[in-house]
Amino acid sequence: MTATNEVVRLGSAKGGWFRQFGWRHLVGLLALAFSLFPILFVISASLNPLGTLSSSTLIPPDTGLENFTKLFGTTSFSRWFLNTLLIGVLSAVLSMFISAAAAFAFSRHRFKGRRIGLVSLLLVQMFPQFLAIVALYLIFAEITDLYPAIGLNTAWGLILLYLGGALGVNTWLMKGFFDTIPKDLDESAKVDGATHSQIFFGIILPLVVPILAVTGLLGFINTVNEFLIASVFLTDDSSKTAAVGLYGLISGERNANFGVFSAGAVILAIPTVVLFQFLQRYIVGGLTSGAVKG
Amino acid sequence: MAEVVLDKINKRYENGFHAVKDLDIAIADGEFLVLVGPSGCGKTTALRMVAGLEDITSGTMTIGGKVVNTLPPKDRDIAMVFQSYALYPHMSVADNIAYGLKIRRMDAAEISRRVERAAQMLELGNLLDRKPKQLSGGQRQRVAMGRAIVREPQVFLMDEPLSNLDAKLRVQMRAEIAQVQQDLNVTTIYVTHDQIEAMTMGDRVAVMKAGVLQQIGDPQHLYDHPDNIFVAGFIGSPPMNMALGRVEAGNGDLAVRLGAATLALPGAVAAARPALAGYAGRDVAVGIRSEDMEDARLARGGDDLPRLSTTVTMTEALGSEIVVHFVLDAPKVVTEDTKALEKDAHSSDVALHDRGTRFRASFGPRSRVRNGDEIEVVVDTERVHFFDPETGAAIRS
Repeated sequence: MTATNEVVRLGSAKGGWFRQFGWRHLVGLLALAFSLFPILFVISASLNPLGTLSSSTLIPPDTGLENFTKLFGTTSFSRWFLNTLLIGVLSAVLSMFISAAAAFAFSRHRFKGRRIGLVSLLLVQMFPQFLAIVALYLIFAEITDLYPAIGLNTAWGLILLYLGGALGVNTWLMKGFFDTIPKDLDESAKVDGATHSQIFFGIILPLVVPILAVTGLLGFINTVNEFLIASVFLTDDSSKTAAVGLYGLISGERNANFGVFSAGAVILAIPTVVLFQFLQRYIVGGLTSGAVKG
Repeated sequence: MAEVVLDKINKRYENGFHAVKDLDIAIADGEFLVLVGPSGCGKTTALRMVAGLEDITSGTMTIGGKVVNTLPPKDRDIAMVFQSYALYPHMSVADNIAYGLKIRRMDAAEISRRVERAAQMLELGNLLDRKPKQLSGGQRQRVAMGRAIVREPQVFLMDEPLSNLDAKLRVQMRAEIAQVQQDLNVTTIYVTHDQIEAMTMGDRVAVMKAGVLQQIGDPQHLYDHPDNIFVAGFIGSPPMNMALGRVEAGNGDLAVRLGAATLALPGAVAAARPALAGYAGRDVAVGIRSEDMEDARLARGGDDLPRLSTTVTMTEALGSEIVVHFVLDAPKVVTEDTKALEKDAHSSDVALHDRGTRFRASFGPRSRVRNGDEIEVVVDTERVHFFDPETGAAIRS
């Protein structure tokens, strides 16, 4: 002990501040710039009245809301937007419910074909959806002839299709979460006199809210952003989703409507952001803590 | 209230595992029966079959005279307390307790009356608004009890309800559960692997091993008259000492040679066990409880008492008694039962090899023995147990 007043700082032994911590900030800033750039670019393009791809810069020389007025004035964007919300919300909610019911069965019950069912759900997911698009189109062309209400160019037909598509992943995701809820709870409720549906709605569902929120949010985002199938199924201008409709704006003449397209993209992002803000507090674990043991 | 009868109950799982074999138990109305045994002995499976959570492969189960084999749990009028308590984490204590009543669409006023009463009984009154995760282990345990009580069922089923509590709380809750059961006088089946719980709580105790009922009776009877080596070793703490001895017949009286010592048996002992004479000249498993041995210097009755000479290897002073460990120069008893017991206790006397058998004796607190002392141990030969070394069964008639 020679220097009595010397304060020893943690991490000061070797290298400077940068070698210890600084480089992490640098990596973080780079990642931030990398992910924010497209968003900034689209927002600035939506405010740029020139409205062409080539004239877009990160900081536009002139700003205005012309693109937004044009979007609502000259296109059916409000209709597309409502279609998107309807399809997004309904398919998210329905797929959440169906997957939860399936996951409950796979997690809680033991029945013939359980293993095969689980594995085939997984296998089916491995094929990209567009492989099936021809078959799907043919099926729905047939359905359109028989039941036009759920056929091509209807929101209901598309919702039906999305439900099938999301079922596999969501079921697996949820089953994993359901498995973490002690089976004692079911059995206790069973002894208390509850039926399967009372256990499902009264005991299990309240405990799996976090995973419901996650699958619901993912389902909504996927549906809102889905383009390929929607573009094949929805050809009427009035039945289009925003993604399909907006694409139509820039696919025709070369980049003439890029500003309007960007304005639509910005508006389309709003519901997702709002939904995320709302669900964020549910997307936390630990709800089951305290269920069992001391 | 109702009696529960298990008649030749079997449970065989699809993978072929035979968990419960021909279980015959009749539990009287209001009785507290404890099912005890090492883990994997089928006791929990048996309980779950009574609850209706597990299918019955064969046999007849009746509750209150009604065959319930195929009835779902909710129609059996039973309440179960789980090892994990299984409280519903998203419900308050009051809702947890009331859940079973709400499901049965009971009148709201009656529900609150019953919840009130159960809460009072279990001292949960000021916790009713809390969530399970805000409770301590003992409080959760009480909520689980409350949930069973309010149902006012015919039968309570308890699956190791105290095993998640620390030792001190366990002793306290043990008494509370026994008290509640006594007050309500509800037929209760209680599963545990802890023989002390079994001894202290049960009106009767049923000992199981590998799916087979070994013995059933009141705790003291099991302790004093175990039917086989397994029950002898499982009931009681420390477990019964056991070594191979040779029965010798001479001048009409029987004696048993344990290592270098020969213990003369009183006439009453031989008279109570007519079959023992048939073992003359053969080996038997000799069982001696630790409290049936005493430091010769403390024993009254002179030098002619039957005794063993040995060297102390370890002493444990407990205040009220001194547990003295020594190695007896007699071979160890090795049967199916002793293997099962060793597995349960995760112990084995491998270190001893063939040098003999480890014994534990409880001496009076005035005994001054120390490690390494050469001592004489007096054995109360009237309380010695004899078992067939092949079958493990007690030698009696």
